[in-house]
Amino acid sequence: MTTENTISHKYVMGLFSDEDKAVSTIHELQQSAWKIHKVHTPIPSHKVFDALKLKSSRVGYFTLTGAILGFFLGLALAIFTALRWELIVQGKPIVSLIPFFIVGFEFTILFSVFGNVIGLLTQAKLPAFKWADLYDPRCSGSHFGIVASCEPEHAGALSAFFKEKGAEIRTFD
Amino acid sequence: MAELTYSQIDNTVIETLQPPPRKYWIVVGLLGIGILIGASCWIYQIFTGIGVGGQNHPVAWGTYLINFVFWVGIAHSGTLISAILHLFRAGWRNPIARAAETMTVFAVLIAGLFPFIHLGRVWMVYYMLPFPNQRTLWPNFMSPLMFDVVAISTYLTVSSLFWYTGMLPDLAAVRDRSMGMRKKIFTIISLGWTGHHEQWRHYTRGYLFFAALATPLVISVHSVVSWDFALGVIPGWHTTIFAPYFVAGAIHSGLAMVLTLMIPLRMIFNYEKIITIDVLENVAKTIIFTGLIVGFAYATEFFIAWYSHNIVEIESFRWRATGTYSLPFMIMVVCNTIVPLLFFIKRIRRTIPWLFGISILVNIGMWYERFVIIIGSVAHDFIPHAWGTYSPSGIEFGIMLGAFCLFFFLFLLFVKHLPSVSMTEMKESIAKERQSHDH
Repeated sequence: MTTENTISHKYVMGLFSDEDKAVSTIHELQQSAWKIHKVHTPIPSHKVFDALKLKSSRVGYFTLTGAILGFFLGLALAIFTALRWELIVQGKPIVSLIPFFIVGFEFTILFSVFGNVIGLLTQAKLPAFKWADLYDPRCSGSHFGIVASCEPEHAGALSAFFKEKGAEIRTFD
Repeated sequence: MAELTYSQIDNTVIETLQPPPRKYWIVVGLLGIGILIGASCWIYQIFTGIGVGGQNHPVAWGTYLINFVFWVGIAHSGTLISAILHLFRAGWRNPIARAAETMTVFAVLIAGLFPFIHLGRVWMVYYMLPFPNQRTLWPNFMSPLMFDVVAISTYLTVSSLFWYTGMLPDLAAVRDRSMGMRKKIFTIISLGWTGHHEQWRHYTRGYLFFAALATPLVISVHSVVSWDFALGVIPGWHTTIFAPYFVAGAIHSGLAMVLTLMIPLRMIFNYEKIITIDVLENVAKTIIFTGLIVGFAYATEFFIAWYSHNIVEIESFRWRATGTYSLPFMIMVVCNTIVPLLFFIKRIRRTIPWLFGISILVNIGMWYERFVIIIGSVAHDFIPHAWGTYSPSGIEFGIMLGAFCLFFFLFLLFVKHLPSVSMTEMKESIAKERQSHDH
């Protein structure tokens, strides 16, 4: 799959109400000279993901970083605060690792979720301010929208290709 | 469910966001009055002193702590349904996942209010924050109460983020079918979601991690809540089974609350085709399972007391079953362990009035369970001349009324202003069903 952003290109969106037709069209587009720009789907379609041969997301690295940071931050906070005033409580050691592990655990979850959210937002490029470009509102409902780019003079042929596949057409500059 | 189309799901859910009739606002208004009563009672308590509550020696933890544990418990099944069942790929949870997650967020929010209320001098709350006081003394992180602060605030943050993230594609769907001010609001809160393949690629992975992280969190949170009691050397509290016992009880009460909320929801919004009787039946079956665990825990507590040969422990449990609070104890046992057994009968677990009635009884039973554990143990501990009783004051009842009203108030606002069923997950279910039919 290739991403094209050249201004002189024309973008044509084929809107499919059937997931399988959308997937077979993606396969055919990949064999053609036209380039798939993006595919909008109302659900996370694994058929579409497979057809586009998407790599797995890197969100997990953010989550893992958050988890490691969180664990040590939680543990460090509990140890630091205990050491600020070495008050023996219930005869326990000042640095009691078992109860402090609980604080570390909760911080692990908290910060891994923060990492997860940051990863999700940065990787999925959210919030997206120009979301309405090359988009059709039907894609959040029941349609699968394949946006393909071509030279302006080939827009008619691309539209005809989508029509032949049973899609509704939208053209963008 | 496979006979539904994507458009039918969108239309059914978005229809619920139409301007509500007057009676909706009347109910919201009545709940608002309940909140005001609760708030007034709290304000009165702040100005007069914590003594206006019924808590006194030897029962220093009354309804404020009971309600705290009750609401944390209610929250748990939301995470069970949204996260744990998501990991197990249990498709039946999809129609109720959104409402259950919402229930979690609101219930934790309300649970979190009770330690503030119980503080009395609420402005001293900063003592619980990792911030040194005037004598550079920091909070003691060896205390289960500090575990609680960390756990509950983590749970509120995580469940809110999980809830919001899960809603993003649906917020975009509402945005795309709205006009005017609603469109503007949903444009902002949907963060420009368009459902293109790159967004989904990261979203599905991120959501999976959310579920994977929420699962240990939910178990840890109620374990931590149980340690508020189990780490105190009080007969009836100081026992190692408290963590799993509390977690099972939390899920038991939460599932009952899911039924209590879902049954009117599906009736009012014509969700019968989405929240099918099969879904409710599955919840009922899970209630049988959690009810049996809870029943086993009750029996184990008595066994431990008998087997220990510890006279204080034995007396504590004898008094629990036959003493001043024997009626709450009976309510607890009957409502939580015996009544749910009716769900073994298929006709009962597929009949709406039965499902609704039993869910209410389990809710009541689970509130009384916390009453029995919290009050019964400290009222009758080591020294006979220090034994006592407790009954909640009017102020406590007022605050409790306010808390329940606040929960239903928030939930009512939610169902009319945000998609109360996950359209995306419903569509995914349909796609999977069709795929399995095709093969």
